Amino acid sequence: MLRSMLNRFGGMLIVMALVVTIVFVIVRVTPGDPAAVMLGPDATAADIQSLRDRLGLNASIPEQFLSYVGGLLRGDLGQSIFLNIPVGQALLERAEPTFFLTVFSLLIATAIALPVGIMSAYLRGTVFDQAMTTLAMVAASVPSFWLALILMQFFAVRMGWFDTSGYGGPGASFAERMHHLVLPAVSLGLVSSALITRFTRASMLDVLNDDYVRTARSKGMSEWRVVVRHALKNALIPILTVIGLTAALLISGAIVTETVFGLPGVGSLIVSAVLRRDYPVIQGALLIVAGLYVLINFIIDMLYLAVDPRVRY
Amino acid sequence: MKIVTSLIAASVAVLSLCSVALAQAKGGVIDVATIGEPPTLDPMASTADLVGMVTQHIYETLYTFDKDWNTTPLLAAEMPTISEDGLTYTIPLRTGVTFHDGAAMTSADVVASLERWMRIATRGKQTAEIIKSVEATDEATVTITLNKAYAPLIALLSLNNSAAIIIPAANAEQDPLTSFIGTGPYMLKEQRADQFIQLVRFEDYQSIDAEPNGYGGGRMQYLDEIRFVPVPDPNTRVEGAVSGQFAYADSLPVEAYERLSGGQTEPLVLKPFGWPAFIFNTKEGLGSNLAFRKAVQAALAPQDMMLAAFGSEEFFTIDGAFYPDNFAWHTDAGTEVYLPEGDVEKAKTLAQEAGYDGTTPIRILTSRQYEFHYKMAQVAQAYLEMAGFKVQLDVVEWATLTQTRTDPAAWDIYISHSPFLSEPALMGVLNDTSPGWWVSDAKAAALDAFNAEVDPDRRVELFADVQKIIYEEVPLIKVGNFNALAAQSPKLEGVTPASWPYFWNAYLTE
Amino acid sequence: MAAISASAPHREPNLLMRLARRPTAFVGLLIILTIAVLSILAPWIAPYSPIKLSVANRLNGPSLEHFFGTDDMGRDVFTRVLYSGRTSLTVAVAVVTLASILGVVLGLVSGFFRKADAPISRLIDAMMAFPDILLAIALVAALGPSATNVVIALGLVYAPRLARVVRASTLVVRELPYVEAARALAVPTHKILTRHVLRNVASPLLVQATFIFSSSILAEAGLSFLGVGISPDIPTWGTMISVGRQYLDAAPWIMWFPGGAIVITVLSLQLVGDGLRDLLDPRLAKDI
Repeated sequence: MLRSMLNRFGGMLIVMALVVTIVFVIVRVTPGDPAAVMLGPDATAADIQSLRDRLGLNASIPEQFLSYVGGLLRGDLGQSIFLNIPVGQALLERAEPTFFLTVFSLLIATAIALPVGIMSAYLRGTVFDQAMTTLAMVAASVPSFWLALILMQFFAVRMGWFDTSGYGGPGASFAERMHHLVLPAVSLGLVSSALITRFTRASMLDVLNDDYVRTARSKGMSEWRVVVRHALKNALIPILTVIGLTAALLISGAIVTETVFGLPGVGSLIVSAVLRRDYPVIQGALLIVAGLYVLINFIIDMLYLAVDPRVRY
Repeated sequence: MKIVTSLIAASVAVLSLCSVALAQAKGGVIDVATIGEPPTLDPMASTADLVGMVTQHIYETLYTFDKDWNTTPLLAAEMPTISEDGLTYTIPLRTGVTFHDGAAMTSADVVASLERWMRIATRGKQTAEIIKSVEATDEATVTITLNKAYAPLIALLSLNNSAAIIIPAANAEQDPLTSFIGTGPYMLKEQRADQFIQLVRFEDYQSIDAEPNGYGGGRMQYLDEIRFVPVPDPNTRVEGAVSGQFAYADSLPVEAYERLSGGQTEPLVLKPFGWPAFIFNTKEGLGSNLAFRKAVQAALAPQDMMLAAFGSEEFFTIDGAFYPDNFAWHTDAGTEVYLPEGDVEKAKTLAQEAGYDGTTPIRILTSRQYEFHYKMAQVAQAYLEMAGFKVQLDVVEWATLTQTRTDPAAWDIYISHSPFLSEPALMGVLNDTSPGWWVSDAKAAALDAFNAEVDPDRRVELFADVQKIIYEEVPLIKVGNFNALAAQSPKLEGVTPASWPYFWNAYLTE
Repeated sequence: MAAISASAPHREPNLLMRLARRPTAFVGLLIILTIAVLSILAPWIAPYSPIKLSVANRLNGPSLEHFFGTDDMGRDVFTRVLYSGRTSLTVAVAVVTLASILGVVLGLVSGFFRKADAPISRLIDAMMAFPDILLAIALVAALGPSATNVVIALGLVYAPRLARVVRASTLVVRELPYVEAARALAVPTHKILTRHVLRNVASPLLVQATFIFSSSILAEAGLSFLGVGISPDIPTWGTMISVGRQYLDAAPWIMWFPGGAIVITVLSLQLVGDGLRDLLDPRLAKDI
């Protein structure tokens, strides 16, 4: 068992090394020049060259790669060219809106998906079930930025209930900041509720057909107790897995949604870093996001190993 | 109380500037939506307008512009004394001016700052070639000596991008600048990247004792705080203005005009703001041929290009002159080849003359950073194709464009725009090294004469020659004049429409 | 869906016919075919030119002359939605094709040859560690915004997903008795792969490809919306929305119709995908 753990750990290291290389290659073949963006429209070619020298952009690609990997090994993600602060700090400063946006979207998605999914499974084949299944499919077909714009138009501009963009000014209270997250979280939550609804419905269907549920019914238990106490309890593991999966998918959604609502999160940082050619920030963000994913996968594998020693890699 | 204040506000509006000090209450915080995050808070280090717009509240220059675009003293006590031969500028400084850190500004700070400007700033480096020395004559006087007479000097010292700002001598060695200390009416409190730049009133600010006049004159400090909020998406800026989130929103699409009226915000039109231009690569490829450039000029129809880009006649004028008629520089010299409707037949003849083969595509480089650039490119493509040209639109990101245009092998035309600069010598196309690389004997002759002349009236006459040469050699095509649209809350008063909006003198009413 | 899938017990030869028996899948198929046909026939049925500018007619609302109104350049939105369909669908088809080719090759090789399995699987793991939009943004920025490069970027993003499906099926098929028998009889490997393995891998591949088809339509629109997608002078549904966004209030129809086209297309593809999965892979159908 120790051997397979070590094997798996080695595999993870290889994957991380590949991730680092992929990120570096993608970012460095990207055309465009951060120096020209910073110096403004009337800068001379000589000015741009001297800034490139200072930023280390004129070093050869292998040299840049070595110094980048060297930095990573020391835990240094580099310095943002445009923001002039360490990349780690830039990412940390942006973590809060993204974190809460993800949490709220998940809460909204789950709050919609669980009851709807359970009811659909229970009322399988009825008009309600068909309507909800169709609705879930429609929700999964809507581009999230489109929904975001429509919500913004109606609730922020027309009704004036929310600000259209931003995350509150200097010294904004926690409540004010969260208020800015309502529309983004609703638009993301609605779209991601589709997947969870379908999974909940399917898992519940499975369980409702199982023997022990039938037994519980035959014992004369109330329907409510059968569904919630027995069926839901057993369907919960796959449902939780899909909720976890959705959380990982939300970072993609956050990129677009944060941009639409001008939220200063990790997603919008990545988009603006791409537009400004802020190489270290793009590298750092891609690396952290991908690294977290690899790490979570590794932990899950380890848990499976611990639970079931027959699993071998 | 409310009625009284609004009555006063109304009478102020009527009486205009006569009773400035009476009615405006101190206090209040405003959020200003800008087009993005400035790449730096050091206006020496960038020529971007956005950097100038934000930092002009923090730092000041020796001179600045009044409402008629004349230079006027700011940190200098008066206009310079210029020697007969135009080589020596003696600049008296104001006394009693302090930096945000409490230190008094002296001639040593000014010399150190100007030296930094000549070392770091794009415009400073260019000017350094003709500056022989910058010396402190005494505590409150600085003398600039030139190699040759150069009339645009004071205008250059007045600009707010690539700006000759005055900072403490102790900070002048910093590159990049890390202490953002100036003498301006507002000082930096906190900057959070992509979220806000928070400026607060500088309590020890020494204003010039005069009525406000453009960027010059007295600078009042009614507002407690100004926050610049980067909102890169124009649509989001509009929505934020309409919902009342922003007291001021900069650079809005003209289509939004109707929406801005009658609610939490009002439209603010700056007319004329500037001019879009198609800039030729005169160094390599198709554009190195004068007949070709003339053919393109004849093929384009400025009228339709401006209409597509700016929507309605309220937002543009069709004008070939490089300065509109409210500027002293206005002249029609050479503009007879500017044809609002274009002339397809003439274009075809000229293209034949130029030996255009009908297959080589004209590579037009543009981006959607400014939507009107892209729209003009689309219309231009349609007209050029009508005249028998092949066109290839290269629509790239701004970051790619600023890099690509420095490569003479990569493009034939790129699209740009410029505000009406107070000093024609600062126009990009007149610089031999700016992308386009227009160099000619006729240009050099006209420009040298213009730059060496000190007499303002004579300079106006000499500018007509410069404009004529531009129209003869077609290094660029001026498309027209356009107006800029911004939005401001009806509660915000005292903001003058300006190329680089500023918020000293602005105040909030109930 | 499960209720419906239970009612299709016999096997019939034609997949299309079998699919057509399922009402929802049939409706989906009908819609997607209609959209495809309309897009292909765009040059003949569109009432106006998609590129000719008519600046005087800009931002006109929907009317009898212009069913979907006109855009900021005075072009007919209905016409442009039709032409955009050509590009959006072509891009999506190209993405699916590229991803399938890459996915099948990678998946077959890593599933069939033990030595190749570890390196390819690690590469797939590494690619799949990136959220899809994020990787696509970075790739398009690197390659430059053009239709071809969007196809390449999205193809690379989705290929690992298909490769995993193919690898998993290949692993199973490889151990089947008749494949082992064929290997024992020294049948050339490429024949085993094409004759036996590929045929068995086809069903799950087809189901996945349908979902990747719909994902890439959404992804292309998202990239174009962020301004990092297809060059804006080529009409696609995504670029139309990104232009229409500026006129959200003055001329919302510029954005409505291409947005609606996306929703309908993606929805019908999902209906077809669900139908296919129920038909071809009843085990999976029960899971989801």
